[in-house]
Amino acid sequence: MSIREKGYHRWDGRLQERRRAWRPITRLGIRLAFKRKFFKFAFSLSFLPAFVFLAGIYLSERLQDFRGFIQKDAVPIQVLPKYFLSYLTADFLLFMTVILLIFCAAGLVADDLKHNALQLYFSRPLTKWDYLLGKAAVVIFFVLLLTFVPGLLLLVFKLIFSGSFAFVVDHPGLPLAIAVYSAMAAVFFASYSLLLSSLCRNRRTASFLIFGVYVFSDMLAGILQGIFRSPYAGLVSVKSNLKIAASPLFGVKPPLEVPWACSCLILSAVVAAAVWVMNRKIRGVTVIK
Amino acid sequence: MSVVNEVNIELKDIAYSYGSVEALRGVTLSLGAGATGLLGPNGAGKSTLLRVMLGFLEPDSGQGRVLGYDIRLERDDIRRRVGYMPEDDCLLPGMDAVTFTSYLGELAGMPRQEAMKRAHDVLFYAGLGESRYRLLDTYSGGMKQRLKLAQALVHDPPLLFLDEPTANLDPQGRRDILELIADIASKKEIRVVISSHILSDIESVCSQVVILNKGKVAAQGRLADLRQSHFNLFEMRVKGESGIFLKKLADLGCRVEETEDKLLRVFMPVGLDRREVFRLAAENGIQIRHFLQSRTSLEDLFAQSVRIEG
Repeated sequence: MSIREKGYHRWDGRLQERRRAWRPITRLGIRLAFKRKFFKFAFSLSFLPAFVFLAGIYLSERLQDFRGFIQKDAVPIQVLPKYFLSYLTADFLLFMTVILLIFCAAGLVADDLKHNALQLYFSRPLTKWDYLLGKAAVVIFFVLLLTFVPGLLLLVFKLIFSGSFAFVVDHPGLPLAIAVYSAMAAVFFASYSLLLSSLCRNRRTASFLIFGVYVFSDMLAGILQGIFRSPYAGLVSVKSNLKIAASPLFGVKPPLEVPWACSCLILSAVVAAAVWVMNRKIRGVTVIK
Repeated sequence: MSVVNEVNIELKDIAYSYGSVEALRGVTLSLGAGATGLLGPNGAGKSTLLRVMLGFLEPDSGQGRVLGYDIRLERDDIRRRVGYMPEDDCLLPGMDAVTFTSYLGELAGMPRQEAMKRAHDVLFYAGLGESRYRLLDTYSGGMKQRLKLAQALVHDPPLLFLDEPTANLDPQGRRDILELIADIASKKEIRVVISSHILSDIESVCSQVVILNKGKVAAQGRLADLRQSHFNLFEMRVKGESGIFLKKLADLGCRVEETEDKLLRVFMPVGLDRREVFRLAAENGIQIRHFLQSRTSLEDLFAQSVRIEG
C-alpha cells in the first residue's frame, strides 16, 4: 500500500508577516520547560521566599495580634525598601533561579546546535535577533515571574494589610526600583544562560556550566576575600554583583564596600559577551573557512 | 517584485568561497516550472547553491532572484515562500511531530490554529499519521526524513528545495519519498528543486536537470533535450584487433566505454558523421557486427558532463 493515504492538498490560507516573529519560539520554550521532569516542583519551590516575605509583611502589620507569642527583646520586622531588596536578592531565590535556568534555559541553544536545528529556524522568515529574542524571552519570563510579579504583589499586600497608601507615598520610587532590578536580573540571567548554552552542544554540559559558574564564582569570591581581605574580591561572584548592583536602586548601602558601578560594569560585560558570542555562533549554516 | 513568472529561479555569475575553497564559480542558471534535479558529485556545490538561494550564505559576487525576489535583499520574502528540506538530520528534541511541524508552520507565518490543522494533514500525507504524537527522539532515520519533508510542506510553499531527500533510506523508503515528491511536483503551482547525487532518483522525478561540477554549471536544461543534444550514443560490437581503431575514435573526439560483455559504447560528439566510424573501421581492418543508436541515460550524461572516465 502506498504511504500516501490521500493526495497533496494546497492550503488556502495566507501567510502573515509577523512583527513579533519571536513569540512562537518563546511560547514553545515555556511549554517545553513545564514538560521537563521536576521543573514544576522546582518552580513551585521558588515561590517559597515570596510566601515567607508575605508572612513577614502580615506579621509586621498585625504585631498587636501576636504580642503574646513574641519575646520582649525581639526586633520587630520593619518593612522598608530594604525588605523588598532582601526578597529580590535572597540567596535562596537566586539559587532557585539558577536551578530553574538549568531546566528552562540550558538546552535553549545547545539543543538546537546539537540537532542542527538552526537551519530549520533560518529557513523561515526569521532573523538572528528574532531567534535570540525568542530564546531570551523564555528566561526573562521565568525570572520576572520570580522577581517582578512577587515584588509588586508584596507591595500591594503591604498596602492592603496597612490599609493606607502611606507606604507608597513615603517611598514613591519603590515600584520603579522593583521593576528596574527585575529587568536587570532578567536580562542578566537571560544573557548568562544563553551564553553558556551557546558555548556547548550538549544540554547537560550547559546545565553544569550554568550551575557551576554561579556556585564556583561565589566560592572563589569567598576564598579570595579570605586571602586578600579585600571587598573587591566579591566582584568575582555573580551573586554579589547582583546584590551590589541592586543596592542603589533601593537606596541601601551595598553589602560590600565597592562602588556599585563596578558590579554594573561586570554584569554589562557578561551581557555584551553573550551578544558577541551568540552573534558569532548563531548561523543558519556553519561555515568552516 | 512579487509576481511569480514562469522562470522561478534566475542566477547570474554567482560565486561563493569557503575561505580559499571556491564552492561556486560563476553559476548562471535559469529554472522554470516542474521538478529540477541539481546533480553533481560530492563537493560540486549543490548544497551551497541551495543555501545561497535561501539566503543562508551571501554570494561573494553575482546576482539572483528566486520567485522574483532578490537573494541578497529579500531573503525573508524568499524564505516565506520556500520549503527547505535540509540534508542533515535536524529536529527539535523533546516534542512530538505535530508540535514540531505546526511550530515550524507558525514560524513561517501561519496562524497558530491553521498551522496545527495543517501539521496533521502534512504528517498524514508524509506517512507519519500513526506516529505523529511520538517523541521525535524515538524516530528512525526514515521517519526523520519524512518529517523533514512534512515540515518543508507545512506552509504550502510554491517552491521546494530538497537537499538529498533520499539520503540514508532503504530502497522501500526511497521509493516512498520519491513517490511523494513526484506527486507534489505534479501540481502545476509547485516547483521542486532536488539536490542529489543519486542519478536514478533525479531521473525518476525530474524533467529538468542542472549538472554542477567543481562549482560550475556543466550542463542544464530539459532532460530530454540534453539527452538529444549533448551526445550521440551508439552501441557497437566489433571483430578484430580494436586497439588502434579505438585510439583513432578517441582522436575524433569520441569517448568509448567497453562493457563486461565486450559491448562498446561510443559517445560521438555532435556534428560527427557516423560514417566516419565505418571508414575508420575499414581502414583498420575491423568488422562492425552490431551498430545501434542508444538512448543516453542520465548516468551517461552526468559522466560526460563531469568528465568522469568510465
